[in-house]
Amino acid sequence: MNNRVRELRTALGWSQADLGEKLDVSRQTVNAIETGKYDPSLPLAFKIAALFALSIESIFTPGE
Amino acid sequence: MRAVHKRYLREFFPAMGAYVALLFLSVWWLKTLEGTTARAVVTLLPVLPIAFVIRAMVRVIRDQDEFERRIDLEAIAIAGGLAGFGFFTYGMLLNAHVVPTPQAEAVAIWVLPVLMGCFGASKCAVRLYYRSR
Repeated sequence: MNNRVRELRTALGWSQADLGEKLDVSRQTVNAIETGKYDPSLPLAFKIAALFALSIESIFTPGE
Repeated sequence: MRAVHKRYLREFFPAMGAYVALLFLSVWWLKTLEGTTARAVVTLLPVLPIAFVIRAMVRVIRDQDEFERRIDLEAIAIAGGLAGFGFFTYGMLLNAHVVPTPQAEAVAIWVLPVLMGCFGASKCAVRLYYRSR
């Protein structure tokens, strides 16, 4: 799955640690999501979408 | 370090400290103690803190985030397989009398340490796997 999490995060000037704190996950988890090494669960994807005030499908798109 | 991991360390280290202290106490006490029931109780004293170590591990696995939990659960699955495979292989060698036969308690006491050791090694491997993917 592809995602725009890094793009959205950097646009707001947040570090991975900042985003991790807002989502209540570790920096390692944010990095794994951004680099596509880990696809978040639906609840976490909803949390990410709510944080950026966007829909899930505008952040996450099907990929390899 | 996140709060969940700080809590784990706060629970883990006192439990391990209590285990070491009770182990020494138990070994010293057993030298003079008579009676099966009393000896059983004193022998099992160090086991109680280990139950708290396992409780701390369960709590950290349940409360950490989903990616950390995935790494831990994958590592536990691999560790269980490795430890089981290792003991099974050793059992086969013992059965064929190609290795010296130890006392049963010498084998049984190593089950948990081997499992924990395999977990530690597996966790490092799983983390490296996700980092390099």
